[in-house]
This record gives sequence, C-alpha cells and structure tokens, in this order.
Amino acid sequence: MIYLDNAATTLQKPRSVEAAMVRAMRTCASPGRGGHAPAMAAAEVLYKCRERAARLFNVDNMERVAVTFNATHGLNIAIRSLVGPGSRVVISGYEHNSVVRPLHALGAEVTAAGSPVFDRDAAIAAFERAVDGKTDAVICTHVSNVFGFILPVYEIGRLCRERGVPFIVDASQSAGALEVDAGALGADFIAMPGHKGLYGPQGTGLLIASGRASPVLFGGSGSESRSPDMPMFLPDRLEAGTHNIPGAAGLAEGLDFVLRRGVGSIAAHERLLTRRLAKSLAAIPGVRVFTSDDAQAQAGVLSFDLDSMTPEEAGERLDGMGFAVRAGLHCSPLAHATVGTIRRGTVRASFSAFSTAEEADAFAAAVEKLSRGR
Amino acid sequence: MEVYLTCRSLTFAQSASRTLSAARIRNMIVRTPQNMSREGCGYAVRIAAGALETALGALDAAMLTPKRIFRRLPAGGFEEVKR
Repeated sequence: MIYLDNAATTLQKPRSVEAAMVRAMRTCASPGRGGHAPAMAAAEVLYKCRERAARLFNVDNMERVAVTFNATHGLNIAIRSLVGPGSRVVISGYEHNSVVRPLHALGAEVTAAGSPVFDRDAAIAAFERAVDGKTDAVICTHVSNVFGFILPVYEIGRLCRERGVPFIVDASQSAGALEVDAGALGADFIAMPGHKGLYGPQGTGLLIASGRASPVLFGGSGSESRSPDMPMFLPDRLEAGTHNIPGAAGLAEGLDFVLRRGVGSIAAHERLLTRRLAKSLAAIPGVRVFTSDDAQAQAGVLSFDLDSMTPEEAGERLDGMGFAVRAGLHCSPLAHATVGTIRRGTVRASFSAFSTAEEADAFAAAVEKLSRGR
Repeated sequence: MEVYLTCRSLTFAQSASRTLSAARIRNMIVRTPQNMSREGCGYAVRIAAGALETALGALDAAMLTPKRIFRRLPAGGFEEVKR
C-alpha cells in the first residue's frame, strides 16, 4: 500500500517513536503526582517534549508549550480564551471545522476573509479589509488542509499586532513541514497536532500559549492543590488530568526527528513531490488539479478531481488499487466553498518526509488508469 | 544542611534543576513539604545550604527565580530565608 493521506495522520514514523512509547509504558507513571522515580521519568518525558518543541518553534519560554490531545483540543483552548458569545472574529476562507465549529458553538460573529486559492497577496488584502478596531480575534490556518495553500500568516500576524488584535494560528498542516517561528508570528496561540508533520502518535498535540490562556478542562494538575481554581501559570493551567505520557514520549522522538532532518529539508522534499505529482496529474485528460506555479504558495497537499467519477468513488477505487488518499470535504467545507468545490469535494493526496518520487509516479499512473476507465 | 527552592510548577523546577546542574551545583527535584507551601502540592529543588548564593546567581541569570527559599534547621523544621 502507498500511503498518501499524511495530511490526516502520518503513518510511517521514525522507529524511535514506537520504541519510546513502549519504554514509557514500562517505566513512566504520572508526572506531577509524585516524587518517585517513575513519576519523575514521566516528568522528564514531558520536559523533553516541551524543550524540543520550544527549540523547533522558537518559543522564548518552554512553559508556554502545553501538551494537548490534538490540534482541535488546542484550538478549543485558544478560541475559548479569546472568544465569547457575540465576539467579532475574522477567519480565513480556508479554516477547518476545528475552528468553525467552536466559534459557532460560542455564538461568535464570524467574518470569513475569503480570497482566491494560492493568492497570498489577495489573502493579505482580505484580512486588511476585514480586521478593524472592533475585531476581538483573528484566526488563520497556516496551510489549507484541502489545497495545501500556504497562507501569509506572518503578514497577517503583523497586521494583527498593528491593529491590536489577538491572533490564533492553526499550524495543523505546517508544524514540522514548514518553518513555524513563534517569535516572528507573534501569535497569542499556535495550535498543532502531534500526529501529522511532527511524527508522533495519534492523541497528541501541542499548544504554544500566552498568558491569556483559559483552560477547557478543570481538575488535578499536581500544583497549588489547595485552591479550587486551576493554577494561573502555564503549562499547568492548561493540563488538568493525567497526561498521555506514552504519546508524549513518541511525540518527543518525532520532534527530534524533525529537528535532525531539518524543516527546510522536509519542506523542500514535500514541495518537490507535490509539484511532480501535480505536473503528472495535470497531463491526464479529465483531471482537474488544484496547484500553483508559485512554489511558495503550496505545501505538500494536493487536491484534484476527475470528470468521470465522484471523489468518493475515486478514493474507493484507488484504495482497491493500493493507494490511501482522502476524498470528500476533508472537514473543511469553508475551504471548498471558498474555492468552489463544495458540491463535489475533491480527492486529496498528501506527502510526508517518508514519501518518495516513485510513490508519486505510481499514484499518477493509477489515476491515469482510473481516468481511462481501466 | 539543605535548602529548598520552591517552584511554581514542575516544569519550572525541571528548568531550574538543569540550570543548577549546568552550574555544577548538585540538586534534586523533590515534592515541596506542605508546611512550606500556602498553595498545596508543588515541587522544589533541594540543594546544599553552602551552594545557595551561587545557585541563586545562576537561577537569576536564567530568569528562574524561585518562589520561596527554606533552610532546614538543625533541630528539625524549616525556616524561610529572605533574600
């Protein structure tokens, strides 16, 4: 099987990830709940995770790195910290339901700063028009999980700082795959999963938080236990309950893999494969490919559609041919509405550091075969 | 005699411990005894009393100032050390 659904979860992981998880299962207890060796071993796992994340994402203080259960968990913390009923929030036209649904549940007044796919200048202009002194928060994904469009988050962050508006970045598709510089972004929150480009296991995530953070879970933190309130300090404020220590152990190794390989190298690799596949697919009659000539505008995620069948049918047929891709709306109806693909959805192929040019070529050949009805 | 440097969080205690180790000061992360804490459970870094000044210098330089400092008394019990 050739796995090209890395935008959902990377399947191939560094070997050290599994080994660290097994080790943690055998040696670690609950961090922050005791002073004995197994408890401190667990604390060491978390510390390693925070330290490596702070290094990878240029975070000034590792206490700002909270360990979460996934990016959605982190985004819910971030959104609920800044947004309440009636709050005015500006989002991009490419947000995932992990942003759209919490905002809807809170009753926020949401403006989508829509812009054409792969047009970074238009995205900046859309935010410039939409963000004003009455905006309570801006939320922007770094990379569209449907189209791989790299949004200009650094420029949007600058705009937010100039206009005094809090900023949340969804780094679900960029963490580990593109440079994510917390210092340069100046965002109040950056949420990310551990199981995609950071090569950790499912059930892990990170939130780079600021002092404005409010918890969504309340309970034991192993600190300030006489108080009925959660501690005011990070990361304890955001980490009630027992951590997923085997998950964090795997994530720490995934972070180490990305640090060693280098984000620039991974980004270049995925970009090369994306362009290679896009070129091959574009040459197939009856295939519409969503890609850009601007290499800076697209990460390792590629959507396409076939005239001859629905995306779901294509996904099913490709699965039968030994290729794992995702079809449909990818939990991002807003992105499809922005691009005009909401009625059909798309087929999405997405790469990781472990993907190869041979896999991309084999996949293109399979799509060609499908399009010819063979 | 020993000194306890109480910390606001376990993560803080871990950072402090690493800073002290880098400064070649022997230390250990321990649970903060309840009679040192107004807030309940927490962690402290325990060092030898003779290393206190050097330790505080290293921690201040790393912007890791402990919450409170306690010295173990020869007769038992603890006494807070004011800076």
